[in-house]
Formats: sequence, C-alpha cells, structure tokens
Amino acid sequence: MTTTRRFMCGLAAVAAALLAPAAPAQTTAPPEGRLLASNCFQCHGTDGRSGFEEINGKSSTEIYSKLKEMQRKQPGTEDYGIMIPHAKGYTDAQLLKISKYLSTIR
Amino acid sequence: MNYTRRTWLTAAGAVGFGAVLTRCGGGDPLAPAASDAASAPLAQAERSRRSTKPVVSSTTGRVVVVGGGMAGLAAAKYLKVWGGSGVQVTLVERNPSYTSNILSNLVLTGQRTISSLVYSYATVKQNYGVDVRQGTVVGIDPVRRRVTLADNSTLDYDRLIVAPGVVFDVLPGLESDAARSRVVHAWQAGPETTTLRNQLLAMPTGGTFVMTIPASPYRCPPGPYERACVVADWLKRNKPGSKVIVLDANPFVQAERHTFETAFGGLFKDVVEYVPNAAVTSIDATQARITVDSLMGRVVGDVVNAIPPQRAGKVVLDNALVSTGARWAGVHAATFESTLAAGVHVIGDSCSAGIPKAGHIGNQEGKTAADAILRAFRGLAPDTDLVVNSACFSPITASTASWLTAVYQYDASTGGYRIVGTGPSEATRPTSDGYSQMNKWFATLMGETFA
Repeated sequence: MTTTRRFMCGLAAVAAALLAPAAPAQTTAPPEGRLLASNCFQCHGTDGRSGFEEINGKSSTEIYSKLKEMQRKQPGTEDYGIMIPHAKGYTDAQLLKISKYLSTIR
Repeated sequence: MNYTRRTWLTAAGAVGFGAVLTRCGGGDPLAPAASDAASAPLAQAERSRRSTKPVVSSTTGRVVVVGGGMAGLAAAKYLKVWGGSGVQVTLVERNPSYTSNILSNLVLTGQRTISSLVYSYATVKQNYGVDVRQGTVVGIDPVRRRVTLADNSTLDYDRLIVAPGVVFDVLPGLESDAARSRVVHAWQAGPETTTLRNQLLAMPTGGTFVMTIPASPYRCPPGPYERACVVADWLKRNKPGSKVIVLDANPFVQAERHTFETAFGGLFKDVVEYVPNAAVTSIDATQARITVDSLMGRVVGDVVNAIPPQRAGKVVLDNALVSTGARWAGVHAATFESTLAAGVHVIGDSCSAGIPKAGHIGNQEGKTAADAILRAFRGLAPDTDLVVNSACFSPITASTASWLTAVYQYDASTGGYRIVGTGPSEATRPTSDGYSQMNKWFATLMGETFA
C-alpha cells in the first residue's frame, strides 16, 4: 500500500472506532473517558465549555485529529504551546476515549 | 476493603440545581475587586454558560470531605456531579472562605489584591448540593467510620476524604510568635502575604531581601522561584540597587529549571544571587537586620521570607495516616486511599503519590478519588487507566510569564505514577502572551474547582 492509502485506512479505522455506537450501557460503570476528559477541565472549564478553547460537543473525529496534530509538532516550531507536550503524554487509546466522551457533552 | 453496599434505589428524578453563577461584569482580572470580595473572583473566573448537571444515578453513600482547598473542593463537587442525589457529601472546612495560594505572589508586587483571591464555598453548595460545614475535624475513627470535630460533634461516613493541606516546620530561631510574625513564610495566602508585601514596601532602597526555599518535596515546585523573580522585577523598578538572595536547600532549581536559571543569570543578574545547597540552619530575628545562617554561610537581610519545610496537615498527622518519621500520608496511587486506614482517602498536598504538590494537581486527585469512591459504592474495581497532568503558568516579570507541563501515567505494575511523553516541559521563554494565558488558566482552574 502507498503511504497515503495506509494513512487513509488508518484514519478510516479510527473514524470507525469513534463513530461506532457505544456498547449497551452498564447500569453502574461510569461512561468511558469521563475521568480522563475531566482532567482537561482545569484549562477548558467544567465540561469543556470555556477556558482556552471550548472542547465540548465537537465531533470525536475532529477532537481526536486535533490532538494527534498537536502530538506531531516538534519543539522549536512557532506555535509550540503548552498543549503540545501535554498531548504527547497520552496514549492513542486515551485520546480516543477522551474525544468520544467530549463529543457527548452538549 | 469493607463497605456497606446500599441495595435500595433512591427515586432519582432529573436533578437540576438551577445554578446561577454571579456575574459582576468586567473582564480585567487585574482590576481591584470593587464588589464583594467573595463573589468577584468567581465572576472573573471562567464563565460557564451553565454549570454541569449532576447525573441521574441510583448510587448511594455518605462521604465526608475534610478541607476546603483545591483538592477537597474538586472531590466534593465531582462526588455530587457523578454520584447524583443519593450520594451525600459533607465538606468540613475551618475557614469561612478560601484564599488562593496560586497567583498570591502577585500580591507582593501590588498587581493583585489578596481579596481578589478569596473564593466562597457557597457556589458549590448551591450548584451541587454539597453540605458545607464550618468546623475543624480533629479525630478520625476509621473502624467506626466517624470523624470528631473540635466542638465534639461527630459525622459518620462510608468513605472519608482528608485534604487539609500542609503545616510548616518551625525553623530554628523562629520559635517565638514575635519571630514568626517578623519572618513570615506567606506560603499559605492570607495575612502573611499582606505582611510580606508591607515589609517589601517599607524596605530601604538598596536593601536586601532574603528568601529561603526548603528541600523538595514542598507545595508548588516553581512557586518560590516565581516569587524571587517577580519581587526582583519589582525591586529593579521601584527600589533600584536592592538585592535578592535566594538560599535554596535543593541542589538546583526544582521546576522550570531553564526558565529560572536564565532569569536569575540574565534579566535579574544584577539583582538576584541564587545559592543552592543552602539549607537554613538558624535565623536571628532579634536585631534591626535579620541574620540567616545556612549550610552555605551567613547572610543578613532587611526583609526575610523563610519558607520552611512542610508536612501533611494536622488532622492527617494526628490520626495515624503518616508512617513514623514520614512527612506525608502514604496512599494507593490509583485511588488515593490511605495505605494505613481503610476507607480514608488523602489527597492534595498532604499525600505522597509521586506527583508534585500543586493546586492544578490537587484538583485532579479530587476527581480521581471521587471516581474511585463512587466505583466502590457500586461494587466496581477502581479505574487504572489514569493520567495526571501538571500545568502551570509562572509570572517572571510584571508582564511576562512562562509555563510548565508534565504528564504522569499510572503504572499498575509499580502502583505509582511515572512521567511520560516529553518529560517536564517548559516554555521556550517568558512572553506577554504567556502572561495573558496565565490569567486565563487561573480563572478557568478556579471556576472549575469552586463553581
């Protein structure tokens, strides 16, 4: 496969994961990603509604893509702000959980 | 760990706490607080369009939270938000309001007023139904699951969260009240902050300001270096020729090393003398000028700010939550449950979990403990997919700030947090954008914690 096609297949897989309907809800288990996402609120406000940027209610694909884009930035680039080393500390699985959870906050 | 699992369901309809955040208008966080001291900072805090609504939930349980600081408030709030109406949360705090340590260094330079840093407990009570009691918890009985207050009243709990902050060692020479009134730490924002500000205002031009920094770990790793910078900046402009001597017990700058070393050696090279490996051995505050002896020799100052070594808050120390000879409460890192007392969680500066002591982090420890407790009430194992992030903006001058961040992943194989990603990271240089971001970060963090 070409690099582009591999990338598109990867992106499609991620999109599928983000858009797939959630498994039937456990009556007692907390929503997946809720605690992880809550640690964005110190800078983005409770439920992600304020702070540096509103992060609630956007599509999970959009949030995930933005976080991955931040992860790719290198020190020395013009816009190397606090979110970049931040994003680099999370695993893909965690970013997916966070993105899905944030997308559910209206 | 034993707990009683409630099996009946509470009739939990949609719970709307009809939150209204006070709006006082005005957006300049540096303007003196014109209106009521307690409501103005929240008005300046992050403006949520509406507060978050607690979930509809059948979980039940009683939690007592001791200590109304960054960690205690976050825990109390999220126990209600995530737990719903069946979870009873009582917050016991000895003071009628909270004064933020974060940004209190700017009171020393006159850029902030201490009253602008005062936060009320009323909003969390109103928004989420947290029962707030003013009082002092003195005793903890983990077997009966009961706390005793100074007025001899008691509160029973299913789970207890203890978050009293820190107490300060008495430095040799500062045993008397008079000595400690003269040589303040101002590491607990409030009257001492005002005292130190007044001392700096009264210091003779060309005088010497001495600061001492204790060995790590202590509350807020970058804080003392920030203080040295903003005071040096203020002295440069207001009392030129004055000096700042920083006696650091540590072998090197403990946070944002590049930023502070650059500031001390560059912008402030004619003002600041930074002395590492200089633990304080004694202080003589009886003469006109104050003598400070350290492992690196003797200095004399006109104003001395001695930040002593710290340990867990009194209620933690007095109730067998700290191992013999230790300063901090040992906890299981995933839940913050005490290693010495079942059902008791210690969060915030008082605990030792391998992560820094900071308000931004205490807020997250509160959420992590809340989640762990709610899972326990439901018979679920704790979450182990945990991340703690540290983020902080540090003022370097009156108009520029830098930032730091570090991300810690919980590692189930070691039962602790380890730093990941790019490790401790800091801004390339302090900027005025950084200063605006600092104000936004602070307002958002305080809104997320107190509203």
